[in-house]
Amino acid sequence: MPERLDVDLEKLMTDVDAMARLARGMLVDSVKALKELDAGLANDVMSRKKALYDLDDIIEDLALKMLTLYSPMASDLRKIATVFKMITYLNRIGRYGYDIAKITTHLIGQPHVKRLIHIPLMAEKVDCMIEEVITAFRTRDLTSIKDLAKRDSEVDQMRYAIFRECLTYMMEDPKTITRCTDYIMVARYLERCGDHACKIGEKVHYMVTGERIELN
Amino acid sequence: MFGILGSTKRSPKGLDDKSVASGGQAEDGAIRLRNVNIHYGSNHAVKDVSMDIQNKKVTAFIGPSGCGKSTLLRALNRMNDEIDGCRTEGEIILRGTNVLGKRIDPVALRTKVGMVFQKPNPFPKSIYDNVAYGPKIHGMRKRRSLDERVELSLKRAALWDEVKDRLHESAMGLSGGQQQRLCIARALAVEPEIILMDEPCSALDPIATSKIEDLIFELKKNYTVIIVTHNMQQAARVSDYAGFMYLGELIEFGPTKQIFENPKNKLTENYITGRFG
Repeated sequence: MPERLDVDLEKLMTDVDAMARLARGMLVDSVKALKELDAGLANDVMSRKKALYDLDDIIEDLALKMLTLYSPMASDLRKIATVFKMITYLNRIGRYGYDIAKITTHLIGQPHVKRLIHIPLMAEKVDCMIEEVITAFRTRDLTSIKDLAKRDSEVDQMRYAIFRECLTYMMEDPKTITRCTDYIMVARYLERCGDHACKIGEKVHYMVTGERIELN
Repeated sequence: MFGILGSTKRSPKGLDDKSVASGGQAEDGAIRLRNVNIHYGSNHAVKDVSMDIQNKKVTAFIGPSGCGKSTLLRALNRMNDEIDGCRTEGEIILRGTNVLGKRIDPVALRTKVGMVFQKPNPFPKSIYDNVAYGPKIHGMRKRRSLDERVELSLKRAALWDEVKDRLHESAMGLSGGQQQRLCIARALAVEPEIILMDEPCSALDPIATSKIEDLIFELKKNYTVIIVTHNMQQAARVSDYAGFMYLGELIEFGPTKQIFENPKNKLTENYITGRFG
């Protein structure tokens, strides 16, 4: 049985990897679409939602099947429990990508208030956090997630910086209110994605060590 | 055919009820094992085991076949005395008394430390007589007292509702699961403090197993239960503490949640995840 369990565990890891790639791709591309006001890319991101949901269901089904068939214990059980939580966080990350793409479609036809710098930078930082927790999940090496809380604080600060900046534009010119409100929403979504990366990091830490920690 | 009854002989210098247990609450550590070694001839079956088994909790011994878990379980009520060439050293302290002491009467001990076996082993008698047998040989004669004891024991073993209308029918007509609960009722009838269970569900179907597991959960309100099982999920479901044994050694002992979720020892991890050997 362990051999079959190991085969299914490997399949589970591969599927989670695929879901993580999909969710990260949706987030990164949605911000790219926003930056360049690219309707085609935004629509493409939105079209990936079904694949994201399908993967969520496929992984959940496999994890449930493994619980039923193998009654896993100890590190195997922790890995499967971690996957159950991870797919929820990855789903949310992908969904935020979808939401940002949807906002982008509303902004098409009007220029940005100014050149977008902070939002893409924030997205880059968040994507890096997600990439590292997924790598830690794959390799069981916790080194890269040690400073996750610090980086999440930086992301939080960037969100407030964007909020303050948008506030000044809105006060200067009420015509920017709709666009700035959208930027604030996008910054909020990205900040939440950083939180989800931290939650994944906490779960990966539990999976590897059996100890629970709080990262944000 | 042992159970609580074991031998019918009684040592003149036997352990009386006061020195083993005289009712009331046992200490926190219901049983203390200190440096317990058990040999079958030249085979060292249990090696230097020391542990405290908690009062009114379920403790499970797990481990591969031949690791010594059943041998250790049987040492707790001196069942190994019946095996030629078996030698037990160390101390097993129950209520301040070393039950391995020469002055201890195993028969009196077994009234306080009852046992249930892998296969149900009812006597070829009526349901009533199976349960009443123990109290009777311990001197209970009054019909009313016996009736009350039989009813209470069957209720505690969650069997009363199923057999109350056929108490005088043969116990052999019961299903396997019912027979096992009858054996538990028989053990309870002599008012033990501790119940030892050696793979009590291995011969039962899932429904009967579930009933026994529910019963174990109920029993720990009043009794200390120690169970040997090969079923890892059963150990995880029913026990509060679990000990993993390997090649006669107690490798790891701790709260069940820790043993099954985050074992500290690599051997334990390998065994419970099925990656052993």
